[in-house]
Order: sequence, then C-alpha cells, then structure tokens
Amino acid sequence: MTTPRPRAVVIGSLVLFAVIFAVLTFELSASASTSAGKTQAARKARPAPTETKTDAAEPEEPAPESVEPEYEYVEPEPEPEVEYVEPEVEEVPPVVTSSS
Amino acid sequence: MIEAIPHTLSTQGWWIVSRSSAMVAFVLVTTSVFLGLTMAGKPVRDPRFAKALRALHEQTALAALVAIGVHIVAVLADPWLKPGVAGVAVPFVLDLNRFWNGIGVIAAYLAFLLGLSFYLRRHIGARRWRQAHRATIAVYVLGLFHALGAGSDTGSLLFLAFAGLTALPIAILFVYRLGAARRREERRRLASRRPLPDVV
Repeated sequence: MTTPRPRAVVIGSLVLFAVIFAVLTFELSASASTSAGKTQAARKARPAPTETKTDAAEPEEPAPESVEPEYEYVEPEPEPEVEYVEPEVEEVPPVVTSSS
Repeated sequence: MIEAIPHTLSTQGWWIVSRSSAMVAFVLVTTSVFLGLTMAGKPVRDPRFAKALRALHEQTALAALVAIGVHIVAVLADPWLKPGVAGVAVPFVLDLNRFWNGIGVIAAYLAFLLGLSFYLRRHIGARRWRQAHRATIAVYVLGLFHALGAGSDTGSLLFLAFAGLTALPIAILFVYRLGAARRREERRRLASRRPLPDVV
C-alpha cells in the first residue's frame, strides 16, 4: 500500500470547502431574493442578537411615510374685554361775564 | 437569485467562510481522530498499511489545524459579529452563545497544543507525548458540542447525519481503546509481581 500524498488531503479539503461555500452562498442568495425568505433566512441564520444588531441589515419593510403630527385645535380664549371707562370730566362752572 | 449573489457575498461573505471552514475542520478532525483510534487498536499488522494510516492521520490533523485557523480568522473578520481579538482568543468572553463558543475556543487551543506536540515529542519524551496525545479525543468532543450548540448549521440534516454516523464508531473505538490500555496495564503489573526465576 502506498503512503497517501499530502496533496490529496489538501485538494480534498479545498474541494469540500468550495462545495460548502457555494451551497451556502446559493442558499442565502435564494432566501434573500424573496422578502419573506429574507426574513426567514435572517432569523434562521443569526438567531440571538439579530434583533439588536440590525443596523447593518437592509430594512425588511419600507419605512413608514412621515406623518405630520396632529395638533388638536384649541380655540383661543377671548381676551378679556377692557371696559371702557369714560374719563371723568371736571365740571367747570360757566364763567359769567357781565357786560354792563 | 443570481443577482443577489454579489450582495450576499459582500454582506455575509465572512460568515459563509466561517461556516464552510468550520464544517471542513469538523470533517477533518473527525477523520483524524477516527484514524488515530483505529491505529491504536492495531487492526492490521501490515507495516505498510500502518504507515499509510499514520501518514493520513497526520495529514488530516494538519489540514484540520489550517481549517480551524481559517475559521478563527473568518469569525474575527465578521462585520456583523465583531467579536474582537478577546472574543476569539479568550474562552467565554464572546457574548453570542457564550458557553458553546467558549468550548470552541478551548477546543481550538487543545487542537493546536496536542496536534503540534507531535513535532516536539523528542523534547517532551515519547511516553509523556503519548499520554498527552490521548486527550485529543477532547478536541473532537468539545468541537462536536461547540458545533451543536453554536453552529449555524446545527439543524442541517447532512451535518446531523455526518455527526451521528461518525460519533458512534468513534465512541466504540474509544471505549475499546480504553479497555485495551487497561488490560495492557494490568498485564504489566502482573508481570512485575511475578517472582524472577532463580538463577543458579
């Protein structure tokens, strides 16, 4: 029996690596091509901290449109009416001039 | 789907490399441990066969160390995981699956220490090296638990089939080897107790 050459093990390992790499790439790409699959693949792939580490990932759903904040209409209180007070006019007695 | 490949590789390339290298490493460690246990049982007395087995055992062990190295580098470079050097170098530091990844770090250290100790056996002594080399089964067991606990492909049928089909013969060979070592030890003890024949 001949001694196995190291080249066989190296080539075998590289081929195995290439096959697994290709299969995983195709699998992830196929999942990513559908939005539902994308979510499923992301959850399956990176379970624990996916929820907290999603900053790098693309958003699954379109961001909600910006909605103008609704303001409640409050009728302005009427300003207190200022009572008009007629200024008191000092009565001046009529000056009588005698013309004699 | 083809259009999605560049995007997948740019965003998840390192993760795919780490998964692929981990699976290759696991296959190589399993093969090497299986061959090592088979050699220890001395199934065939033919020295050429034993030499071929030993060469294959050594080559698969070295290739496994390279695959483990690639796995560590890929995990370190993963932009999503961001483990940092401490995360891959110090057991039980990485936040994600802390226990199972910690086991993986220990398994990697053991793999490098025990695997490369083969080339230092002249310095550490053949007997001591052989005793240490028996602990290599721990690399396989810890690696298996690391893969089952922290691996992204734990649910894969192919992985489970491979792990299950190889774990059983390895367990049988290991138990057989333990029994053989115990029997050998007992024989040696009995031989040492036997009185020496009188020399006239």
